Amino acid sequence: MAMTDFTYLRPNTLAEACAVASRLGSEAAFIAGGTELIPDFHRERETARHLIALDRIGELRGIAAEKGVLRIGALTTVAEVAASALVREWLVALADAARAIGSAQIRNVATIGGNFCRAVACADTPPAAIVGEARVRLVGPLGSRELNAETFFLGPRRTVLAPGEVLVEITLPSQPAGSGSSYQRFARRKGAALVVAAVAARVTLVGGRIGGARIALGAVAPVPLLVAHAAAMLEGERPSRALFAKVAAVCAGEALPITDVRGSAEFRRELVNVLTRRALDEAVSRAEGARS
Amino acid sequence: MSREVVVHLNINGEDRTLALKPNTTLLAALRQHLGLTGTKRGCGTGDCGACTVQVDGQAVNSCLLLAVAAEGKRITTIEGLSHDGELHPLQKAFVKHGAIQCGYCTSGALMASKALIERNGTPTSDEIKEALAGNLCRCATYPRMLKAVAGWKEFEGVPFDARPRVHAGRDQQRDHDVVSHGVTRYDAPDKVTGRAKYTADVQLPDTVVGKILGSPIAHGLIKRLDVSKARALSGVLAVITGADVPDEWYGVSPAREDEQILAKERVRYVGDEIAAVAAVDEETAERALKLIEVEFEELPAVFDPDAAMAPGAPLIHPENPRYARNVNTRVEWHFGDVARGFAEADHIREQRFVGNRTYQAPMEPHAALARWEHHGDRLTIWSSTQTPHYLHRSLSRVLGIPMGQIRVIRPAVGGGFGAKAEATPLDFCSAILARMTGRPVMMEYTREEMFRHFRGRHKQYIDLRIGVKRDGTITAVDQRVVLDGGAYTSYGVITAYYAGAMLPTLYKFPNFRYDGTRVYTNLPASGAFRGHGVPQPRFAFESLLDMIAGDLELDPFEIRLKNAMEPNTRTCNALDVSSCEFTQTLVRARETSGWSGKKGALPRGKGIGVGCGGFVSGAGYPIYRSDFPHSNALIRVHEDGTGVSLHIAAAEIGQGSDTVLVQIAAEELGVPYEWVWLVDCDTVLSPLDLGSYSSRVTLMGGNAVRAAAEKVTSQLYEVAARELGCEPGALLAKGGRIFVKGSPAQGMDWAAVARLAFSRKGPVVGTGSYTPPKQLGGEFKGGTVGTSPAYSFSTAVAEVTVDLETGYVTVDRFTDFSDSGTVINPVTFHGQVEGAIVMGLGETLLEDTVVGKGGHFANANLHDYLIPTICEMPEIFTAAVESYEPRGPFGAKEIGEGSLLPVLGAIANAIYDACGVRVTELPITPEKILQGLKDLELAEKTSSTAGSRRESPAHKVPT
Repeated sequence: MAMTDFTYLRPNTLAEACAVASRLGSEAAFIAGGTELIPDFHRERETARHLIALDRIGELRGIAAEKGVLRIGALTTVAEVAASALVREWLVALADAARAIGSAQIRNVATIGGNFCRAVACADTPPAAIVGEARVRLVGPLGSRELNAETFFLGPRRTVLAPGEVLVEITLPSQPAGSGSSYQRFARRKGAALVVAAVAARVTLVGGRIGGARIALGAVAPVPLLVAHAAAMLEGERPSRALFAKVAAVCAGEALPITDVRGSAEFRRELVNVLTRRALDEAVSRAEGARS
Repeated sequence: MSREVVVHLNINGEDRTLALKPNTTLLAALRQHLGLTGTKRGCGTGDCGACTVQVDGQAVNSCLLLAVAAEGKRITTIEGLSHDGELHPLQKAFVKHGAIQCGYCTSGALMASKALIERNGTPTSDEIKEALAGNLCRCATYPRMLKAVAGWKEFEGVPFDARPRVHAGRDQQRDHDVVSHGVTRYDAPDKVTGRAKYTADVQLPDTVVGKILGSPIAHGLIKRLDVSKARALSGVLAVITGADVPDEWYGVSPAREDEQILAKERVRYVGDEIAAVAAVDEETAERALKLIEVEFEELPAVFDPDAAMAPGAPLIHPENPRYARNVNTRVEWHFGDVARGFAEADHIREQRFVGNRTYQAPMEPHAALARWEHHGDRLTIWSSTQTPHYLHRSLSRVLGIPMGQIRVIRPAVGGGFGAKAEATPLDFCSAILARMTGRPVMMEYTREEMFRHFRGRHKQYIDLRIGVKRDGTITAVDQRVVLDGGAYTSYGVITAYYAGAMLPTLYKFPNFRYDGTRVYTNLPASGAFRGHGVPQPRFAFESLLDMIAGDLELDPFEIRLKNAMEPNTRTCNALDVSSCEFTQTLVRARETSGWSGKKGALPRGKGIGVGCGGFVSGAGYPIYRSDFPHSNALIRVHEDGTGVSLHIAAAEIGQGSDTVLVQIAAEELGVPYEWVWLVDCDTVLSPLDLGSYSSRVTLMGGNAVRAAAEKVTSQLYEVAARELGCEPGALLAKGGRIFVKGSPAQGMDWAAVARLAFSRKGPVVGTGSYTPPKQLGGEFKGGTVGTSPAYSFSTAVAEVTVDLETGYVTVDRFTDFSDSGTVINPVTFHGQVEGAIVMGLGETLLEDTVVGKGGHFANANLHDYLIPTICEMPEIFTAAVESYEPRGPFGAKEIGEGSLLPVLGAIANAIYDACGVRVTELPITPEKILQGLKDLELAEKTSSTAGSRRESPAHKVPT
């Protein structure tokens, strides 16, 4: 299980990292925590000849709130995201999603940026971030751009990142007053297990009615799915079991799951149904808690 | 090739500078470059946690971190945990709580625990579980780890005290000094410090690395095999193919020797061995494998027994005409008269059950290291094996050299559970490659290769029919089983017999028909796995018994008590049960679990269920025909009388046999436990023991040790009698003294007697042997299988919660009572039962190898093949109901395998109780439960007029 040979480069600045990456082209890969990349080398799914480590680039680290925006540096570890009081206050679903990843050992090393950029369908943090209207800031040889997190993913292990482009940070705008969020996941085992299906939701209550909602699905499509029209069914309505059941059924219909060793497509659809209801319930009760 | 780079690491407080290639993981740097082998490789992909170290204080998988990425960081490994010879409080806590079995996960678990307590000195149970969720322990010492971490502070600043904390306690009160006391495990000090050497930790100068090329297809003929490019690669020392290995067929079962070291012409499953290389390092060896060119004529493949037995199916072993229709083994047993038994029945029910193909998944990957010595004519092999003797014999036969020229060394073994009970291609290839290269050759399986080599549980298709009287008395049992054997026999002949043989040991029934068929398929070979062949039939039986109890409106305990085995019974299949406290295990489990207050009284979604089991205490006959005693021991008293060496080539694989054998020796000799040195890892130094399988070591090894000890004490009694002026027969050795029975003051120090004995006659040595009673079993084909000097019995009650929306099952509580005779060590006894419960939970709910397209295992890793973590561990209560087994040492029987057997049925029955869904196909997944709930709902809707129904209606079937 030896890995193929590669060189290891450690640029000190973002500009340098982008420059080195674009010079080396497709033979290079960025490495953050490496918890997915290293096993991918073993499975011969990763074949980069050069690894560009991002760990010396200070600006990629840390969690900070400024001007109503929460900035999470891409190299912030998943453990830091899970433990961050700021993240918990801003979007508890994201902290919960981070905490659900792998084991303590993995969370201490894996980064939120890595969780986005490796873009596996069962990644935990993207759906949670998406319901919080997360945006991603990318910096590349041609400059900087920002986009909505849900548009970052193109397919399993494929993102919009251009050669030499780095995911710098994930940002969350101020969450609307009266909102609560939830991340519900189903895995076959309680300890350290990959997710079979997941649903993240954010619900905003305005005077006892739902002012707005966002729902995103994980592990049931090639990319995290923002199900806008299901969420739209909630707007202006009072939370109720019947309503949530209706929305959950729509979400289950929207899912594009596959059958694999972790579960059948049909089972995943049923899970989406259950998890959507649970996520909406929890988000509403958190929204009510936030308001009181 | 990339160049080496300089990396600065602070390791355990010491600055180290290493020149490493960038693709070196921190794990490899520690183990291979720094010789710090206390950190283990269990998977290499971050799934098991065996490689956990602290990096700047945080727990990290060292297999996932590049050493270059750890530049300048502070790294603490297990070797840095104790200071100035003083164990860390966590290490003391692990030792004292018995949180160690095979020890392979121990270093990682300790480091993860240390990272936790440095952050949070008083962690809650949930916090400990969260911190250790990534540290897999297949022995499942989880309950003990939890206690050790929660209570670590008790050991802070307290000098280490190796004396037992657990005395006879709740298990029994007998007048023993060592036996029945929870003495510290013999192997604990080495395992808790990372000093214990497993095969892959043995580092010899000039060692090269061997790797095996496995077949990419499930069935085919090798048309062309060209290794010239691999041979030409720089750094490659040898390449071998089927043409370079002996023509000998081998196999652990002499009745069906159907394996070859490397394929001569045909490959029979994905992974079947084709070629092997030896190279200067792993990377070069793997590159060489890729340069081997193979062309196949691909043949149709079969992946289940039905397809394999179908007319016109491709033959997997056409070389041997006995395997027509791919049938490997047939068992046709009929005891009593089932037709009459069913005619006498008031109620008959039958059901099909389907098992799962589970894998032992020991934490330590298989490994072998071979070196030729002397004039190059003697082979020494270090191997991770449960059966050094069968490995020894196989090597001798296949390589054509006498056993006398082969030395087998069994280092510490990180779990086996049956996966390491026969010689592997690693053993053979390392020996051959070492001879060719003139250098030591180390070979290890990757986690994926372990799954491919397999030898896990047979998937069984079971049709079971039971007839009972109205009061539940069983009148007849008819069982047909088809076993999916995979491509080779392995232990499968015996598995096919065991699948039937063990049913009549638990319940009395006069009429029993068993029809077993083991079938070859193009899958990795199944073999012997804890509970050998019995867990699935036992699951079926315990499930069907509950279904029948439901039909007759009998309490599940009532029907079991009605039929429970009694002492001194000959079963219908001619097995002799001597000691048996099965009824007491039922009575006490019912009482302690609070059954009567819970059964039928729990809310929907909560359930309680009972299951029972039992097993042999060692197979009555060896795998191959032989008159050798099964266990043999030699005890030598040290010259000044203050120590003894116990030599026995038994195999400690985590179950605690070292400790038990040392206890038995100390007790019988009358010396303190601490005096005994155990020499059990080396066939040159120790006499034959058949190994750790069929739960045999306590009874058989224990008897041999006891006999050897008696020979020693009788010599000492003669010497002491002369000094004391009494008859030797009047003397007793106990507690380090030899004295006249009944008057302890009239005696001498044990050591003084031993010194006198040595001074007068030279070395004081005693030898002992054990052979099971002759003529066990009936005079019919296969009548030897299932025989044993003694049988164990246990009852377990499971309590579960079923999520009615997702089908997720949480096992909340287990209550287990086992009759394993006299308990030699209460700590290891409870550890075995707890481990069996957690492993059984995995088999019932989680585990199954998935056959992917083309016949490869689609989940050959530890993130898709899920074994229980500490978070799955239920609350567990275990206790012994001690019988006294006249054939066991101090009355002892087995515990390791029998304790697994009740678990599957207990959980299945509890799930049915919780939600009315009877799942008959393992594993019981959430999907199957959801489907069952839907079927129930539909049935209730459509049959509201026909009355309610939870299970398919019972009916009497004519025979």
